Amino acid sequence: MKATFDLALISSTQSIFDAASPQAEKIIRLSYGFLVAASGILLLVIILTVYITIRFSSKTNTVEPRQISGNSKLEILMVSFPMVLVVIFYFWSLNTINAINPDRADQKPDIIITGHQWWWEAVYPGEKVITANEIHLPTGEKLLLQLNSADVIHDWWVPSFGAKIDMIPGTDNYLWVTINKPGIYEGTCSEFCGQQHAWMRIMVVAQSPKDYNTWLTAHAVKAGLPLDTLARAGAAIFMGTSCSSCHSVQGTFANGIAGPNLTHFGSRQTMLAGMMDNNPENINNWLTDPQKVKPGAHMPRFIFGKDSVRELTAYLTQLK
Amino acid sequence: MKLILLPEPEEPIPSLSVSHNQGLLQWISSVDHKQIGIMYLWLSVIFLVAGGIEILLVRWQLAVPNNHFLNPEVFNQLFTMHGTTMIFFVAMPAIFGFNTYLVPLMIGANDMAYPRLNAFSFWMTFFGGFLLYFSFLAGGAPDAGWFNYAPLNEYNYSSSPGIDYYCSGLLLSGIGTVTASANFVVTILKYRVNSMSLKQMPLFVWMMLINSFLILAAFPSLNAALVMLLLDRQLHAHFFSAAGGGSAILWQHLFWLFGHPEVYIVILPIFGIFSEVFPVYSRKPIFGYAFIIGSGMAIALLAFGVWVHHMFATGLGNTVNNFFAASSMLIGIPTGVKIFNWLATMHGGAIRFKVSMMFAIAFLIEFTIGGLSGISAALVPIDWQLTDTYYVVAHIHYVFIGGTLFGLFSGLFYWFPKISGRMLDEKLGKWFFWLFVIGFNTCFLVQHALGAMGMARRVYSYPDLPGWGILNLISTVGGFIMAIAVGLLVYIIIKALKTGEKALRDPWDANTLEWTTSSPPELKNFDHVIPVNGARPFRDFKRPDDADWKKNGQQWKIN
Amino acid sequence: MIKLIVGTEAMFFLALIMAFVYFSFSPGFRSHQLLNLDIKATGVFSILLFSSSFTFWRAEINYHQGKIKQLRFWLLFTIVLGGIFLLGQGREYISLLNNNVNLSSSIFGTSFFTLTGFHGLHVFVGLIVIAIITALAFAGDYNKPGSSVIDSVGIYWHFVDIVWLFVFTIVYVVPHL
Repeated sequence: MKATFDLALISSTQSIFDAASPQAEKIIRLSYGFLVAASGILLLVIILTVYITIRFSSKTNTVEPRQISGNSKLEILMVSFPMVLVVIFYFWSLNTINAINPDRADQKPDIIITGHQWWWEAVYPGEKVITANEIHLPTGEKLLLQLNSADVIHDWWVPSFGAKIDMIPGTDNYLWVTINKPGIYEGTCSEFCGQQHAWMRIMVVAQSPKDYNTWLTAHAVKAGLPLDTLARAGAAIFMGTSCSSCHSVQGTFANGIAGPNLTHFGSRQTMLAGMMDNNPENINNWLTDPQKVKPGAHMPRFIFGKDSVRELTAYLTQLK
Repeated sequence: MKLILLPEPEEPIPSLSVSHNQGLLQWISSVDHKQIGIMYLWLSVIFLVAGGIEILLVRWQLAVPNNHFLNPEVFNQLFTMHGTTMIFFVAMPAIFGFNTYLVPLMIGANDMAYPRLNAFSFWMTFFGGFLLYFSFLAGGAPDAGWFNYAPLNEYNYSSSPGIDYYCSGLLLSGIGTVTASANFVVTILKYRVNSMSLKQMPLFVWMMLINSFLILAAFPSLNAALVMLLLDRQLHAHFFSAAGGGSAILWQHLFWLFGHPEVYIVILPIFGIFSEVFPVYSRKPIFGYAFIIGSGMAIALLAFGVWVHHMFATGLGNTVNNFFAASSMLIGIPTGVKIFNWLATMHGGAIRFKVSMMFAIAFLIEFTIGGLSGISAALVPIDWQLTDTYYVVAHIHYVFIGGTLFGLFSGLFYWFPKISGRMLDEKLGKWFFWLFVIGFNTCFLVQHALGAMGMARRVYSYPDLPGWGILNLISTVGGFIMAIAVGLLVYIIIKALKTGEKALRDPWDANTLEWTTSSPPELKNFDHVIPVNGARPFRDFKRPDDADWKKNGQQWKIN
Repeated sequence: MIKLIVGTEAMFFLALIMAFVYFSFSPGFRSHQLLNLDIKATGVFSILLFSSSFTFWRAEINYHQGKIKQLRFWLLFTIVLGGIFLLGQGREYISLLNNNVNLSSSIFGTSFFTLTGFHGLHVFVGLIVIAIITALAFAGDYNKPGSSVIDSVGIYWHFVDIVWLFVFTIVYVVPHL
């Protein structure tokens, strides 16, 4: 099925100040508050430093100055003023934490995301949908994300959604997010996770509940046998060689779990966790020599002939 | 059997130059605290250049988006080695160099309490560093970052021997650091000249005393973690691998239980340096002597209660996070308020703008930036956004460069005449200062923005998102300006050693005992020590009519 | 000086003990402890180790009183007690290894062998040092009081025993509570 979103929805920047969720908005408010206080302090230090260095230069003060060594009142003031600030910001931070990370109680997660070296797997509990790297979420609902890791520590971070959270092997972590409006939100793995940490980018496609449900239904459909002969040949190679021992394509014998699920690979905009556009040329290069395209990636180099690569590419692109 | 007698130094050390009459052997066999101190300083210069070259390559790779100058494997080794080198083999040896050289001189002692242990400490650090660097030849340097998180540091994910070298190198140098600290404690407590009470010790010595206790308490945690990791990697134990029942988070707890105190370990002695520099160049006593000591102790104690602020994003729960947020903000107070102590020291003074003092003044502002961004990272929700991004990279560099390195430069320009007997060129020094300050801010100020714009740290490449390319390019240019500045500094030092103007005994009209010796000091530091009746014994000696001990702690009146 | 070294060593053991306690909450850990560890035999060996602290203390007292013969005797006695403790540890290790519990078998093996191994290493180092001062005592180096060596070694040796008190309690006793 054709993608139901438009690339133009990607906003020009996705900084922590482009909030797309109430959680992120709360953090922005705290950040602005902090910025004001911090700028005040910095300004004070700069003004004092400049003033004192100019006013008390030895060029103007040639005699030895008065030997003053302390002032208890001033010292108490120096401690108590920042103390007040600390208390204010502590409680502000406390409230923000409670608001964006409330108790989960027994609530089941809406989506389970697992970090792998170097891609993302998303499982939709209750639905028969497993996807990779391009993660679709509905807007307007308070979603509970469960985050895990299959190998080393990764970290889920979409700046527009607010908090990041580590994905730690052997541990379940959770994150709340309510997405305000449809759009494409970018993020990245934010804990160093090895060679390709840089290319472990997140793409979240937020859709209205209606569009989202359409997407879910479409993605629950199993892959059929391709009609095109080239793609058919590709399918035969895929099933016959070791591709299928690492990758899954629902509806076929391929049920490996080490690599990304490819059932609807053709419908994704990018490939290799946001490294490049998903087009036949890139797929072709990747299949020819994965280590050249993304060094360190866990996909080994298979010595496919040129024709086999073309057939596999045809098979993969039609998995929509 | 013929006994080989190792030559002990017979003469005062004429210069920093290694090519002295008795040659290298004298340095290798030396147990003199001044020679060991100088060797520490040179060691840190060598590693500064090494760590600098590593990061220049990294910055070159990051100058433009989608760059292919370095492959990710090399990139990861380079930034890991950069961080590890700068902290363990530049900052630490430089601090220990100044301390080893100066602490005995400042307390009127002729050497450290245990001179041979002192040499042992240095050589452990030396060999630890070279063992770490040997990994480049042995099949790959460590590549899991300087804090080397589990399970990425495990054999399954990093099978080259780099991380084994990381463990053994840091264990060796860690032993050196711990023994040196024990040596400092004993030296400071037992070897002060009789008339110097604790309340009259220079603040530099005070900070080192506090720091030594901090090291003694913090390093074992790192050593334990390193040992566990070696057991995991070599003997297949399961401390940090979740698959075998271990815990990846345990590494973080152990590492940061060391790692956060370590941050204070490399800043407290710097506070000590500035507490000498500000008074001398302002011609006033330090403002709030007792306050600085008290806040130093407060930092040392609190330092062990803040480590989880490196782990706010690991999901430890709101209660834990709130506790550590509170302690982390609290520790900001004794750290930050000192800025006002130094400002007040300058206030009303007669400030001389020597290079040393310029670094001290610049430090006030740079360190405030680093401190404030640190506080923002103690606010858990902001940390949740910004941790592990370039914002944090900017933060640590404002603290480590704007704080530690500026302090070391300040100390270098202040004490170089004493150590070498030569003056550094002030004019070139000012060029160096401006180049470095401009380069530093160009490099790191923009990184705050990069982090807020979503750039994670430790990426070898990045997509061409709006603004990312240009900001990274600016940062790279800044890095290279800093490199030029450091090149200039090396030239300034060598020039001073070769043809520099001879230094007088007391070129800065200073206050403490080390300036009563010749420049450089004789092998035996003191024949006799001037009377110590206050924290500024040399000034009291030079101006007997206006001596501190004749007045009862004049206080500053706010009009 | 020795107090500083002991202090920093104490922090090292604190880290190891913390790791052990941390893992002791993981499932199956306690049953491993109950199943594999011989609390009775180790308890006896522990008492011997604790008594070696007493014997060393006697050595210190006698040294200060100038009783060199007694000093030599108590030092030897300490070595014997410490040695027996190490043999007891060896016995425990062998029985564990025979049951296929080793450093890499499970998180229990990992944390048990690391903690007790490092303690054993400290006992071993202590024994070497005591052996050296015993040899020196027999050679007549300590015929006059006034050296601080024996007291310093004593601080270390008592420290090693105190560590064992904690290790024994946490590793052997707690699972039975």
